[in-house]
Amino acid sequence: MTGKTARLIFWVGTLTSAAIFLWQTYDFHMQTPKFTHTDKLTEQVVAGKKVWHKYNCNDCHTILGFGGYYAPDMTKAFYRLGENNIASIVQHPDVMYKNSFRKMPQLGVSETETRQLVSFLRWVGDIENRHWPPQDEKFVEAYKLRESQPQKLDKVHLVLQACGGCHTFENQGRNVGGDLTTIANRITYDRQTLINYMINPQSVRPGVAMPPQDVSPQTAAIIADFILSLKSTKEVSK
Amino acid sequence: MMLIEYQSQRVSLWYFRLALVLFILQVIMGLWLSINYAFTLPQELVNVFPFSTAREIHTNVLVAWMLLGFMGGTYYILPPECGRELYSPKIAYAQLIIFVAAAVTAVVGFLFGWTRGKPLLEIPFPLNALIVVAALLFIANVAMTIIESKEKSALQWMLLGGVTFLAVMYLFGMPFYKNLNTDYYYWWWVIHLWVEGAWEVVTASIVAYIIMRVTGVDRKVVEKWLYVETGLFLFTGIVGTGHHYYWIGAPDYWIWWGGIFSALEPLPIVLMVVDTWMHVRERKNPIVNPLTWYYIIGLAIYHLVGAGLWGFMHTLPPINYYTHGSQVTVSHGHLAFFGAYALLNLTIFYFAMPRLKGINKYQDRLGKWGFWITTIGMFILGLVFGIAGILQTYLERFLDIGYSTAHLTMMFWFRVAFGVGLVFLAGVIITVYHLFTIKPSSIPPPEPVVTPAANI
Repeated sequence: MTGKTARLIFWVGTLTSAAIFLWQTYDFHMQTPKFTHTDKLTEQVVAGKKVWHKYNCNDCHTILGFGGYYAPDMTKAFYRLGENNIASIVQHPDVMYKNSFRKMPQLGVSETETRQLVSFLRWVGDIENRHWPPQDEKFVEAYKLRESQPQKLDKVHLVLQACGGCHTFENQGRNVGGDLTTIANRITYDRQTLINYMINPQSVRPGVAMPPQDVSPQTAAIIADFILSLKSTKEVSK
Repeated sequence: MMLIEYQSQRVSLWYFRLALVLFILQVIMGLWLSINYAFTLPQELVNVFPFSTAREIHTNVLVAWMLLGFMGGTYYILPPECGRELYSPKIAYAQLIIFVAAAVTAVVGFLFGWTRGKPLLEIPFPLNALIVVAALLFIANVAMTIIESKEKSALQWMLLGGVTFLAVMYLFGMPFYKNLNTDYYYWWWVIHLWVEGAWEVVTASIVAYIIMRVTGVDRKVVEKWLYVETGLFLFTGIVGTGHHYYWIGAPDYWIWWGGIFSALEPLPIVLMVVDTWMHVRERKNPIVNPLTWYYIIGLAIYHLVGAGLWGFMHTLPPINYYTHGSQVTVSHGHLAFFGAYALLNLTIFYFAMPRLKGINKYQDRLGKWGFWITTIGMFILGLVFGIAGILQTYLERFLDIGYSTAHLTMMFWFRVAFGVGLVFLAGVIITVYHLFTIKPSSIPPPEPVVTPAANI
């Protein structure tokens, strides 16, 4: 091989690759509105992205798979956790992870910032990225199913989606609010009180730590039936 | 025999010293990160010095010491390559002070939460502006030295092209992007096009220079290889950026282009290994310092394994679907960065620092210990992260076990990583100590057949 051939390889290789890459970049920008729904990229979402940067979330959490590997991926976090859970975790990590082997710092994120962050994560969750990460796909599907037809859902699944962020049930979920089986055996509420309690806990039990749940009365009713069914009837043998 | 032909080559010494100090800081931060994984820290400590802060120091210090090594290396090889003094040693020092001041302020700022919150590019805007000023001074100094030199060589242009490419890409990381997919699209223009583009060009040029000087192999042969290697690096590396675009919400063809081009990325590295080996075989000069050779050969092989093979496996789309964003990436990142760039910097340091002190043949017993401890230590560390990563991938993505439960298994592996990391730190300290206190050997060096100066 001569020096001239070597130079030719260099220039042809580099320029071909750069040309392909620049064309792809142009096309990427053309197609981004479709893949990321830029029509829903509101001021609130952008403000949420700034909050995400401000508290350096990305150096512990990955998002779209990039960033720190210390904490879960946040791409589909909105579907995995739901709005209330994200808010509780962000504002009270010390409480939410009291029993956890891994801690999250108390960052002092304000109420407004939390709402912005949730909007951002909701928008990110809708990016069409070929169903990645694979393990979160079930949460996305469950959320969409729950939204469209709450009455047809498998009850255990529904309860874990809605309540599993704080409560445990058969060793699943996060152990902050206690085990649902234990709770079911302890409470004396009737069905309607339980529904009211989920939607606005303070109205039933002032001072209780549980936050209001963003569920429709129909969904709350399904959950209430399920919880009440957990009460183990004491056999009275006479 | 003159060891340094030009006085202005001395500016590089301070670049090397500061780079080495930052290297130690980087490793200490790495150890702290492994403690975060291995044990449950109290909430109070996590609130004051969270993982994220330690990680931004770990990664930014990495970038800083790499760049200091490259810049110092460039300043070291430029005068003999151009046959003249540097355009301005004063600019070189001013640039160093600006760069280091910005880096130190950034690290202190991180401790107080002054961050842009963008991994590896956390430095806030005012400090970024300073970095840009330093980069412009550097490029101007290099360009002026080359323009005013009598002899023009391919190596000079390659080096200038590499550092300019590096600086231009940095600019794409500075704006605030509203859209997360666009943000990450351009984030990789910095990160990927650095490590698999600009840095490779700089590496290839510096290694070509050192090989030419040490072996006495003809310039024409070395430069021919340099063209082919960099051509292949850029051909595969530029479109290869696509392997980061599989899951960010981008068009389908990235899977193909990214997959195929990144599969080709080991090719130029194989070529580099072959090239290094051929030059060692065809050398005209006797080996004066075996340790420098350890580093050159170690660099070539480690580069191939860590960046080439590990990267190859990890970037194939069907595998990446499962391993993306897991500890497997951590394993690849450590082996690739150490193999390609930490060893490159150490090669430059071992080539240049003794000469800057007027030493031709040096005592290398301690340095050999450092070499073996760090290279083997990092290899084991890569394996440990790899095992943790495969375990995580299997538990989380195949068995569908929750993230935290899967991560519980990390605790054991990161305790192992912490232990290995301690050994690695010892190796680094030995190496740095040896470089700082390098002494001439009592055994006289063999006479070179072709004096390096004859090749200029």
